[in-house]
Amino acid sequence: MEIETRSAPDSAPADREADLAAWLVARRSIAIGFSGGVDSAYLAVAARRALGREGVLAIIGRSASYPEAQWAAARDVARSFDVRVLELDTSELDDPRYSANPSNRCYYCKTELWSRLVPAARAHGFTTVADGTNADDLADWRPGAQAAREHGIASPLAELGFTKQHIRDASRRLGLPTWQQPSSPCLSSRLPYGTAVTPARLKQVERAESALRALGIAGDLRVRYHDELARVELGADELPRWLEPTRFESLRGALLATGFARVALDLRGFRSGSLNVLHGVVG
Amino acid sequence: MESERGNRTTRNAAALAAAIAELGVQCSLEARGGLALLLPVQESVAALQSPDTRRAVLALARTHGFTHVAIELPNDRRGEGRGTDAPLLGD
Repeated sequence: MEIETRSAPDSAPADREADLAAWLVARRSIAIGFSGGVDSAYLAVAARRALGREGVLAIIGRSASYPEAQWAAARDVARSFDVRVLELDTSELDDPRYSANPSNRCYYCKTELWSRLVPAARAHGFTTVADGTNADDLADWRPGAQAAREHGIASPLAELGFTKQHIRDASRRLGLPTWQQPSSPCLSSRLPYGTAVTPARLKQVERAESALRALGIAGDLRVRYHDELARVELGADELPRWLEPTRFESLRGALLATGFARVALDLRGFRSGSLNVLHGVVG
Repeated sequence: MESERGNRTTRNAAALAAAIAELGVQCSLEARGGLALLLPVQESVAALQSPDTRRAVLALARTHGFTHVAIELPNDRRGEGRGTDAPLLGD
């Protein structure tokens, strides 16, 4: 079953947020696949407000394909807004269908995630399990969505027409620190399809992006893994200054220290799903 | 409508390098699937700091079948063991 957006995209924020509260109250309680990203953090906090502390369980599925810093940020958000958290380990890297890195890799990741998370939610008394999929996501190539459907996962933000910008705006009003946080897909998204996903490669990408953050690069940032070459995508605001040779040299030095032999700056800069375009999965 | 995917049958690294040279950017070019990796000579690096030049390079790359363009600054390792059309894994 495809997700159908029920609310008009230009409906008033208060109406949209009231629709979400009503949707949540109708379910009485909800378990949420919680990454601490913009979308799931907003959903968790909105649910906490609508349903109270006992009505919400944010479940983190930890794996090597997400940076460790993200879990710390997720815990901080939950703690700040008094959202209960359950942490589970997932092991999608042990599945050769995932680690071979096919273009539908996300399907196997999400299958692993939901196959662990849904039973855990049930065991804690939660019948409704939701994710943070938003209305913008519906237009993107997201094989993971199929796994969510197969496991009966609800996507209230998408269903109610919340775009990413709606969620950022609503998060800001709620005082969520995630409102201006860059999107943070899993580290495997930095590897071209067909390049095996290994813990070592994921760790190398994680170290590389951390090194660039330490240089002061804010906003959107991806280090795309092309074997010996790191291709760096920066946000439009950051790109010009890092093309200056002295800065570029410092950027290169930081990445050489993480194990890449060559470093290149993408001339167009950051674009979500960049490797999908490179490999013709979407255009 | 032009596709963002590029077209592998029409990718031509040498022709793209020549077209970019006409913008005043002297470079060699390494094709890695849909990625055009520019290796400019030192004197041409400054030109790529111009947004107009970057836009022009990206437009040329699209017309030559490439979806991505990246720049690697000159360094001592230039030219070590590189092919001219090394494919990406899985490409």
